Amino acid sequence: MTPLHKPWGTLMLVGVNHTTAPIEVRERLAISAARLADATRTLAHQPGIREAMILSTCNRVEFLIDRDVSPDAQHEIQHDLILPRFVHEYFAVAPASLAPHLYEFREREAIRHLFRVASSLDSMVVGEPQILGQVKQSWNVAREVGAISSSDALKSTLDPLLQRAFSVAKRVRSETRIGSTSVSIASVAVDLARKIFGSLTGKTVLIVGAGKMSDLAARHLIQQGAKTLLVSNRTEARAEAIAAALRTPAITTGVIPFAQLHTEAHRADIVITSTGAGQIVTPAQARDILHRRRNRPMFFIDIAVPRDVDPAVNKVEGCFVYDIDDLQQLAAQNQASRGKEAEAAETIVSSEVDRYHQRRSSAPAVETIKQLQLSAESLRQQELARTAARLSAEPFTPSQQAAVDALTRSLTAKLLHPQLTALREAPSEPETTE
Amino acid sequence: MSLLWLRVAVLLYGIAALAVLPAALYNRPRWRHLAVPIALGGTFFHFVSIAETFYAAHRALPVGTHETLSLLGLLLAIAFLLLAARYRTMAFGIFLLPVTVLLTLVPAFRAGKETIAYPLAGPVWIFLHVALLLAAYAALLISLLASVLYFVQERSLKSKSSPSSASSKLKLPPLETIDQIALKSLLLGLPCMTAGLLIGSVVALETVGPAFFADPKVLLSLAMWMAYMLMIFIRQHSGLRGRRAVYLSSFAFVFVLAVWAANQLSAVHRFTAP
Repeated sequence: MTPLHKPWGTLMLVGVNHTTAPIEVRERLAISAARLADATRTLAHQPGIREAMILSTCNRVEFLIDRDVSPDAQHEIQHDLILPRFVHEYFAVAPASLAPHLYEFREREAIRHLFRVASSLDSMVVGEPQILGQVKQSWNVAREVGAISSSDALKSTLDPLLQRAFSVAKRVRSETRIGSTSVSIASVAVDLARKIFGSLTGKTVLIVGAGKMSDLAARHLIQQGAKTLLVSNRTEARAEAIAAALRTPAITTGVIPFAQLHTEAHRADIVITSTGAGQIVTPAQARDILHRRRNRPMFFIDIAVPRDVDPAVNKVEGCFVYDIDDLQQLAAQNQASRGKEAEAAETIVSSEVDRYHQRRSSAPAVETIKQLQLSAESLRQQELARTAARLSAEPFTPSQQAAVDALTRSLTAKLLHPQLTALREAPSEPETTE
Repeated sequence: MSLLWLRVAVLLYGIAALAVLPAALYNRPRWRHLAVPIALGGTFFHFVSIAETFYAAHRALPVGTHETLSLLGLLLAIAFLLLAARYRTMAFGIFLLPVTVLLTLVPAFRAGKETIAYPLAGPVWIFLHVALLLAAYAALLISLLASVLYFVQERSLKSKSSPSSASSKLKLPPLETIDQIALKSLLLGLPCMTAGLLIGSVVALETVGPAFFADPKVLLSLAMWMAYMLMIFIRQHSGLRGRRAVYLSSFAFVFVLAVWAANQLSAVHRFTAP
């Protein structure tokens, strides 16, 4: 990697995501966690690249680089071809087949995209929390393999940018409610269970019937701490199979014969029904079940069509019934609410991009001003030393020394003033975008 | 000086009562971080005010309605802080903090004139009698509030209201947690009430004699204790929750109000102007 340079117009981000590329394309570019270090190292060693990071998740593969635009490197490298060439060589994918799916951002737009990705505004499920961890993981890998500098000696461009991206993501999380609602049916069901029972640790879940959705909901509840899983099915062998599939060392499973469902259901705090065989729980039965539980609340998640639990059961005090429509409606409302929060989050991201870009674009001018001032000061000292000998054989008295110092400083400052003002007020370089 | 501290406490309670609204109704953490320290500050100044009053008067007993109300207010503020720390909920503050403001507002701005003549028995016992009964009243009030909040949360879950609806926005603890708060406060209040009444009875027997038990306030207090016991028995036995728990708690609370009002009829407990 090349040492410090003037970092103007060097950021570039190329990638594919769930909106631009189908799964067939994304899976060809996907990089497993085990291969990420190797791929990042290989990318960082490409000519013309100063720093690099690769983000590979199930919904996106992105390459973020800081290009080397030093005069030595400039004439040899066609920057536009760095990443397509790497992708072609590393993944053995023809550039032409990828071109329609690739997006490319530079400078300000690359910063914006990174901030949006880290803040989960570009995710398939807006507000999902995993993406920030994935970006951090990629950043860690890049630092470990030396693709992003973490030492002061080699001034990094990507390291402060990524750290800023994490701060922006944190700000978005704390100042908006973008991630506070659930948008999948299973997680909505878990949220509702939490509103009833608080912690789900030690709770008992009963699955009645078999189905992918009930299986998923049960797994979610187990993940949240449910301790006992009971299964009831018309076919006992099928119930045994479901229980076996969900059994882990941490949870206890059991099978309730379908005929004994009403006398044994009181053992469960949460009942997930998916038989689709019509109403297997009526209000009278629910009252009886609740009486056996000494009125402790009970949550029925009815994902069967036609419904298994009579809607009137919801009127029984202590029983809470949510059918598939209720859950879907809540998930949709939460999704809409996330959309509103996303608007607020976009505003935060925009202001952060402006601030970061401003700081970054003023960095070269600041550096030049500093060098100009140092050079002028050095000249002043040299001239002062030379002239002092001519003016007097004796060393200056302190008051004479102070007067000469003030005079030369004032002259230098006045001579530099127009140049420094021009540098400070110079417009930013036009940026290149997608 | 003690009145100044009490006024500061009232002001802080008032601000906390306002700050708790967005914290509980819209789940705004920033307001939560504001409400709790302010309420804590109010409690501190309130405690300083009471301690200074007692120290200046060389006694450890509230001697009038104002001082008793103020002491009850302090207990409710402490209860709010304990609930906020233990259960991370601001919802109880919506009710407890305004009640605390009301209970301390009059004592802070109008000096109490009436007083109560305590018997000559040891002041420690009388202090315990008063403090334990006030703690029992506070526990009963919290249990009533918890029952109401349980009812609100239950209605909200049953109505399947959208996340943007008012009832859904109210950040309440889970049903089981609210139920635990209701039951635990009752179970905590029971020994307080029992011990408070027993101490009062023993002191009364020593000073006034058996005639004390013909006093309407004493009779109502015994009825209140029985209502309290009955409520705990029903809740424990049948797992009573929701609407019926609200009715039951309200019934017991009516007894508390009746006992409080009986001060006007009591020959022994009456607060009288000197």
